[in-house]
Order: sequence, then structure tokens, then C-alpha cells
Amino acid sequence: MLSDAGGGLSQGGGQGLGDAPLTIGGVLKEIQGLKDKFKSEDGEDEASPYHALEKATVLQECRAFNDSNVVTNNPKRCCQLITKLLHLLTQGETFTSSEVTDVFFGVTKLFQSKDHNLRRMMYLFIKEVAEATNPNDVIIVTSSLTKDMNSSEDLYRANSIRVLARIIDSAMLGAIERYVKQAINDKNAIVASSALVSGISLFNTSPDVVKRWNNEVQEALSSPNEMVQFHALALLYQAKQQDLLAVTKLVTQLTKGNTRSPLADLNAANARAAYQFLESSLRHKNEIVVYEAARAICHLPGVEMNDLSPAITVLQLFLSSPKPTLRFGAMRTLSDVAGTHPMAIVKCNEEMETLISDANRSIATLAITTLLKTGTEGSVDRLMKQISTFMNEIADEFKIIVVHAIRQLCLRYPQKHRVLVGFLATFLREEGGFDFKKAITDCIVELMSAIPDTKETSLFHLCDFIEDCEYTALSTQILHLVGALGPSTSAPARYIRFIYNRVILENAAVRAAAVSSLAKFAAKVPSLRPSITVLLKRSLADEDDEVRDRATVAIKLLASMPAAGDGEADAGGDENHQSEPVEEDALDGDAETSEAAHLMLDGLPMSFASLERAVGLYALSMQSGTAQAQPLLFSTLPVVEEHVPAPLTKGTSAASKPLAGAGGGFGGGDSRVAPTAASAPATADPTAELYKIPELAALGRVFRSTAPVPLTESETEYVVRCVKHIFDAHVVLDFSVHNTIADQMLTEASSEPELYSVVGSIPLPTLKYDQTGHCYVVLSRATEVAIEPVTFTCELHFKVVDCDPQSGEADEDAEGFPEEYPLEEVELSTSDFMAKVNVGDFRRSWEQMGPEGEVLEKFALQFRRLDEAVAGVLDFLGMQPCDGTAAIKPTGTSAGLPPPHTLHLSGVFVGSKPVLVRAQLAITQSNDTIGCVLKIAVRSDDPDVSRMVADCIR
Amino acid sequence: MGLFKKLATALGLSKYEARIVVVGLDNSGKTTLINNIKPKKASTFEVTPTVGFQVESFAKDNLNFTIFDMSGQSRYRELWGHYYREVQAIIFVLDCTERVRMCVAKEELDELLTHPDVSNSCTPILIFANKMDLPGALSAVDCMEQLDLQRISNKPWQIEASNALTGEGIDRGLEWLAEKLRGRK
Repeated sequence: MLSDAGGGLSQGGGQGLGDAPLTIGGVLKEIQGLKDKFKSEDGEDEASPYHALEKATVLQECRAFNDSNVVTNNPKRCCQLITKLLHLLTQGETFTSSEVTDVFFGVTKLFQSKDHNLRRMMYLFIKEVAEATNPNDVIIVTSSLTKDMNSSEDLYRANSIRVLARIIDSAMLGAIERYVKQAINDKNAIVASSALVSGISLFNTSPDVVKRWNNEVQEALSSPNEMVQFHALALLYQAKQQDLLAVTKLVTQLTKGNTRSPLADLNAANARAAYQFLESSLRHKNEIVVYEAARAICHLPGVEMNDLSPAITVLQLFLSSPKPTLRFGAMRTLSDVAGTHPMAIVKCNEEMETLISDANRSIATLAITTLLKTGTEGSVDRLMKQISTFMNEIADEFKIIVVHAIRQLCLRYPQKHRVLVGFLATFLREEGGFDFKKAITDCIVELMSAIPDTKETSLFHLCDFIEDCEYTALSTQILHLVGALGPSTSAPARYIRFIYNRVILENAAVRAAAVSSLAKFAAKVPSLRPSITVLLKRSLADEDDEVRDRATVAIKLLASMPAAGDGEADAGGDENHQSEPVEEDALDGDAETSEAAHLMLDGLPMSFASLERAVGLYALSMQSGTAQAQPLLFSTLPVVEEHVPAPLTKGTSAASKPLAGAGGGFGGGDSRVAPTAASAPATADPTAELYKIPELAALGRVFRSTAPVPLTESETEYVVRCVKHIFDAHVVLDFSVHNTIADQMLTEASSEPELYSVVGSIPLPTLKYDQTGHCYVVLSRATEVAIEPVTFTCELHFKVVDCDPQSGEADEDAEGFPEEYPLEEVELSTSDFMAKVNVGDFRRSWEQMGPEGEVLEKFALQFRRLDEAVAGVLDFLGMQPCDGTAAIKPTGTSAGLPPPHTLHLSGVFVGSKPVLVRAQLAITQSNDTIGCVLKIAVRSDDPDVSRMVADCIR
Repeated sequence: MGLFKKLATALGLSKYEARIVVVGLDNSGKTTLINNIKPKKASTFEVTPTVGFQVESFAKDNLNFTIFDMSGQSRYRELWGHYYREVQAIIFVLDCTERVRMCVAKEELDELLTHPDVSNSCTPILIFANKMDLPGALSAVDCMEQLDLQRISNKPWQIEASNALTGEGIDRGLEWLAEKLRGRK
């Protein structure tokens, strides 16, 4: 890559000197020249002389290379032949290996020629076919090239160095190293450049050798020729890439030396120390240098506002430059900066506004988006007008960028939502691809959840949109959304028309979605129920199965509803719909109806993945036969926790583990297997293991299994991890032991917690090397006593038996000796008894639970930041955050204390008792100590449980 | 009258192109030998093992010499074959102190002689029994017997004892070569 760029550059520099080194560009030019000549010679034959070349003919002609008379007296002809060959090669003609060899050796005979052009072509040819030819053959030109490298002709020297670098292997490099080193400081710029570029390409194969050239390259850096300087710097940079300090030094040195190459600062962005240099570069004559410097400053990690301002000033000037490239570059950099430091750019706003009407659409788009990021509330209207004029002229990708920018703006200035959402809606009706439309829809939906005021207008916009939406996926998504949100708007009846139109006009998938959406309206708004039922009945004759099925189910459910909903039908108040008693306890008398209605409204109470796991566990517990048969209901399904993406801390520890494991592997020799192997594979569901053991299965169904807790360091002799399985009345501690010692076998391993109510334990009979086994300890729990956090000290008891490391068999006469291995403490906290389960609608469930079993508490916590506090509370309680309340909304003002944050949590306590928690966290400040005040309200059916949960906070 | 003058006149050409390929086992003295033939100013003083081949072109008197100095290392020997085509003469250099490797030299010579570009032409072959100054060197006659040169019947050949460092014997060989080339003309 670099070498190619170098080639191009060197050609540019070489032209003045008359003997440009060989480059593809040069050859193309030559071919062009030849072509022109041919054209003028025989005018009637317009075709290219290289048109329809026969490979065989050319190869035949190439025999001429063997004739020394031709070579010496007719170099033109040879040149032409090579051009033909190269033409064939670039046209994708394949040569068999024998043909390549033949031609290659023919070409090598051209070394006898003294014609400069022919030599250049020959070098080029060798370079081009070097890869295709047998490496053993290519090496044959080494000596010849070495000789050329020492010749008095600069052309030969430059080119032979380049070719040599291409073909040489590291073993041969030693022999020529000296010459290349000399060449680096050659008087002739082309030779020096060639040597440097060769160095760059050689760096990939033998960096050590190239690094030894350091002194020479440093010297080349002060060469009067810019091209040499650039190449020298590129090589130096490559050599020192790994060493940040060296780069810094290099940059400092450059600052003093004031290099003249405009490209010399390309890599300066690496170190903070570069800033001074960059700033001085800002005052450079050459505008590219200035731009590069400004860009580098803007991209410096952790750059400060003050540091940015000179760069921004420069970029501001560029914005009004007559050169589009500069304008574009400056604009792009500014738009990057706008993401992090919008305030820094405000002063450029005026220039950017003029750029909106720039002829170059890319510049205009960038300007718009940047303006949207930096714009003040007052300028929004004006901007919107400008955007709408040019939106039609730009490509979809740019439109998407604009849409995202608008979304951000809207989040920042919620008051402006009417203008902005209206604006988005107009886009929605205009032409555009799927991605664009999807971006807008997503954007509107997001705004709806972020700014409740927009809900009704946005819904109408979306309904308008699906009137003629050609994308099924978007239509169904919107229909679902309308079904979910529509009934709670002020006038739900208005949406029915939109939805029913879909039933009439659209394809099957959309029709089905529309039918479900209608059904939701009917279920939630009793006043509309009769009319919707009529509409749904028409779908009973639909040609698509799915549509018919959905309609039938909906009608059936709706028919059964009025009984339950009669009372409310009169009240019919739209405000009342939320408290409608559709969600009764599933086990109640008329469970079937309400359960079904509930299903229709809310979908499944859990994700499909967790449902699958839950049913799987249910089946397992049934299979073990000891658990009493229970009907398969959602409420009786084993509790399955939502898979939350691993929090940051977990991620880092996982990342550090392999490193530690690798280190151990090196240090400890090969007798030990890095323990990561044990921890890496996803543990097969430990619960499933549990059900296989009859004694444990007899305890009933596992309520919850905690994540494994390591009880030893990850690199010890025996790696032990503990999983706590919570049963209704028991707790099983599942110790998984991994033996990492090759010549030992553990027998009768068991782990003994010192605990008051050990009911029984199941030891591990034997554990061979690199195996993992489980031993269990069963604890009984008095259900009537409140759960309190307890810690157990544990020890691993086992007998060590020497065994043959190869076979893994124990020595026959080995008795083994008992051994104890201390483990870290196992902590059984209240949160272990809590399963993270999401509830569909927190607010409604909260209302439903009622204040009977509520416990209110207030705590002062030691957190200094809100996000830490949220994470901490989640950790204490072990509950599932609802309604996205785990994420703290970013606040506009960084100064002052953040507003209090409300956290909604749900979970199921052991004994299948649902628990809901509302917590308000606020950062307070008194006498310079920042603390966190937590107000928590816990609701459950059982006040004792609520109390226990509240006590989890420590 | 110098040798090359003679050669030039013998060929009857003022600017005759003589393309010669020089082969032989490694460390037999090919590059040194060529250095000796070359005009002094063009010669390089330091001789390192040749990798692949080197082309030496120089004019001496009225003659344009193009000499392909092939590498003698075993891994490059198979590449010699690519350079036999359209050469006016082949020079084979022997290290006559290395008795043990005579058989290897014979093998390579056989290979050369059976090469299609060589076997059907009457390209003259000049063999230099080099390093004759060193103690224990085989004589030219011994070499001839070792290599079984007598069997070559379809082309002219000649063996000369030489010392590439001093140039002794080289002139005599080239004189013979010039004669043969004239004969072919």
C-alpha cells in the first residue's frame, strides 16, 4: 500500500529528472504513447495494437529475447514484447508455470541490454511476475540485480533495489543489506526513495534488519528532497509504531527540525506531546499541513476545549475556502467534533449555514447535521426550512444521517417536538428506500417513548404513513404499535379506520397484524367492542389461514369478554381502561377467559427463549417423577431468569481471564492445563444435572439457581465454584471441583460447610485430572423463619491418590492420604432467593398489588454517583429492572446535582411470591460529602417478604 | 598482435556479438575467470558466490562480449539449461584440485551435453581445468579421462589447464575458441 503510494510519488518527483523509476503509471503512459503512435501510423485500423493478442504468438515472439542481435540492436521491439506480455497478464490471461518460466528466463537475458527503456520494462516485468514464478527461479536474478545496484546508472540502482526488495527472502537480505543502507543516503533522490520504499516493504518480512537502518533513515529525514523525507518518515514511523515514546521523540525532533514535507505530520496524532508541534503546524504555509494538523488536534484523545479552539478557528477559515476538498475536510472534522464538543463549534455556525447551499451535496449534508448538533433552539425552525428544500436532492444514506441528527435535536429540545416530528412525517410520505423509512419510523417511535407529548400526533403520522407503505415489515411494526398505544389515546376510535383499511387492502402478513391490532382495541375499549367484532367477522372469510385464525380467536375471546367487562362498559371512561380487571390471578375461577384475554393483550409474559427453557426445566422435573404433577401454567413454570447482557465488570473479568490463563500456562509448564478451559465453556445447565440425582430431585423443584461463584483463585490446584440452588424448603450448595493436577486423583471429595442445618451431602467418588465433578450439600431452611443473609466457611475434604499421569489410573498400592483444602466463604444472601423476572406492565402490577404488603424504607448509601448507586441497588436486591429504568437518562446540565432517579424492579421471591420495588435514588450533598439517599417501597402479597427484601439493602 | 585482435580478424567482423555461457561447479572459479578476461577497469575486485547468474557485457577490441556467468551452486544448476539456447560457445570450468567432485562435474557435463539445445548443435565447448597452480591438482589429461571427454564426437571441444587468478592458460583457450567460431562461420 505504502510502497504503491511511494511509487506514485516517486514518479511525480522523478519526471523532472528524466529517468523515472518504474511504476505502473509510467508504463501505462508508455502504452498510451505507443497506442497513439500506432493509431497515427495506420489510420484505418483503429483497434488497439494489443487487441486480440494471441498468447501463443506472443510467447513465440518472445523467443527473440534469446537472440542477442535483437536484444542489442532492437530494444524497441523487446520493449513492445514485454508490453504485450504485461498486457496479457493484466487482461487476466493465465500462463502455465512452464510458460512463465520460459518467458521469465527469456526476460532475464535482457540484462545484457544497455537500453534504458528496455531495462525499465524488464525490471517492471520481473516485479510483476515475481509472485507467479517459482521462487527458486526468481532468485536467479539476485546477483544480476545486486550488480545493478552497484552500477553507476541511477536508474538501474533505483529500480534494482525496488525489484530486489520484492523478490528477496530474509536469508539473502543480509547479503544486500549493506547496499540498501548505502542507497538510503544516496545523493540521487530517486535511489534514496527507492531504498526507503523497499525498506517499508521489507519491514513486513524482516523488521529486525530494517530497524538496524535507523541511523541512515534519520539522516534521510533531513534530506532536501521532500519525497525522500516523506518516505524516510513513513519508514521510521513503521519501525517505531509499537513504541509510543519513540514516536513522541520523533515528533519532538521534527518540531525542532521543521520538516518541509507537507505529509510529514500524518502520524503525529499519537501523543499528547505532539500538540505543540501541531499547533505550530497550524501556522504553516501549506494548507494541507494545516488541515492535517487541525484534524489531528481534533482527534487527539481527551482533547480539551481550550486546545481545540485554534484548530477550530483554522477549520472555520477553510469552510469558506474556494476548494471543495478543503471545505469537505473541514466540514467533516467539525461534524466529528460536534459529537463531543458541540459548544466549540458554535462560532462556525454562520459559515456552516452558508454551506447548506453548497453545490457539493456531501458538504451540505455534513453542514446540516453539524448545525443540527450545535444549533440553538431558536434556529431550529429556520434550519428545518432549509433542510426540507434540499432533502429531495440527497441520497438515502445522507437522509438517514439527517434523520438521526433531528432525533438528537428533538431529544435536546423537547418543546420543539411538534415541528420536528411533523418534519419527520413529511419525509415519511416522500420517496425513499426501506432503510430510510425504517430510520424515520424508529426515530418517531423512540421519540414517542422519550417525549410522551408526541404520542398522539406521531401515531397519526404513522397511520398516515401505512396508508401507502410498501414495506410489510414496517407496516406490521406500526400496526402492532398502534394496537398497543392506540387504545389509551384520547380518541381510540379514530385509529380503527386506518387499521381496517389495512385489512382490506394489504397482503396477508399486514392483514394478520391489522386483525390482532383491531382485537386489542376491542379488548381494551369496551365501547368499540361491538363494532370491531363486526369488522373482525368479515376477516373470517379471508383467504389466508393466519388472518382467519387470528380473527376467529379474537372474536371468540371478545364474545366471552362482555361478561367480565360489563361493569366497566358503562363507565367506559377512557381514563379507566388501565385498571380494567383483565389481569386477574391466573388460577382464579374464570381463569381461562382472563388468561386468554391477557394473552391477547400482552403477549407472552416472558420471551420465547425463556419460555423454552422454562418448559424444558418443567419437563425435567416431571421426568424425575418425584415432583408432584402440576398443571402446566405460566405461574407454575419454573422461574427462568432473563438473560441480561453481561455488565461491564463481568466483561472485563472475562477478558482478563484468558490472559491470566495464558500466563499460567507459560509459567507452570505443560503439566497444568490453564483453568480457563474449565471456566470458558458455558456451563451446561446445572439444574439439569441436579434432577439426575434422585436424592436431590426428591426435594422438589428448583426455584432458582444462582450464577456460579468462584471459591478459589482461578489458577489453583483445585478450582472450586459454587452454585446455589434454591428449593422451596432447602438450599443445595453445588460445588463443582476441577482438578488441575496431572498426577493426582481425588477420591471421596466432599465439601463441608460449617452450618447448623446440614441435612445431607453427596460426595464425589473420584475426580481425575482435568475433570470437573460436582459434590452437593443440602441445607434445610425453616420456611417460617425470615431469611437472613448467612455466610458459611467451607472446606474441601478429599483423599489424594497418586496416579500415573499418562493413563490416569491410580497406582495399585496407593492408599492415598486425606487432605483438606480451604475454600472461600459461601455467602447466602437474601437476593439469592430472588429470581429476576420481568413483569409486562410494572405500573399496572404495582397498582394491583396494593399497599397492603408494602414496606417503606429510607437509606443513606455510600455511592457518589447515580449510576453506581443504581448498579449497587440492583446488586443488593437481585431483581429485574423494568421499564428501562436501569439506564439513567443523560442530563443536559453537567453542573449541579443530577435529578433523582426512579428505579422499577420486579422479581419473584422463593415460594413463587412476586415482589415489586420502586426505588428513588437521589444524590445529596452536605458538608462536602456526597452521598446517596435511597427511598424504597417494596410491595408483595406478604409483608414479611417485603420486609426481607427491604432489608437486603446494606 | 593481441589475441582479441586476432579473434576479431578471424571472424571477419568489426563488431561481432559473442554470446558465451560459463558453467561449472560452485567454487570452480567462473566469476574470477571472467574478471580476468574483462578489461581491468570493469572488473570487480571482490568475488562472492554468484546467486543465479550475472551478465557481463564488455567490448574488447572489436568484439562485443556478452558472458552469462552462471551460478555453480547445486540449487541453481538446473537453471543453466535455460541459457544454452543461441549461444556461440559454452565454457565449462573445472576445479581440478577437487578429485572427489570430479564425478559430480561429469554428471553435470553429461547433463549439458544431452540438453536439447546443445546436443543437436555444434556449439564449441571449452573446458578449463582451473586452479592448476595449486598442489595436488589433476593434470588436463587426467581430467579428460575422468570426464570421459573422448566420447564427444559431434562438436568441437578443448581442455586447457588454467589459472584464473593470473590468467595463465586462458588466452590459449580463447584462441582455440576463436578459431572454432571462425570455422563455423
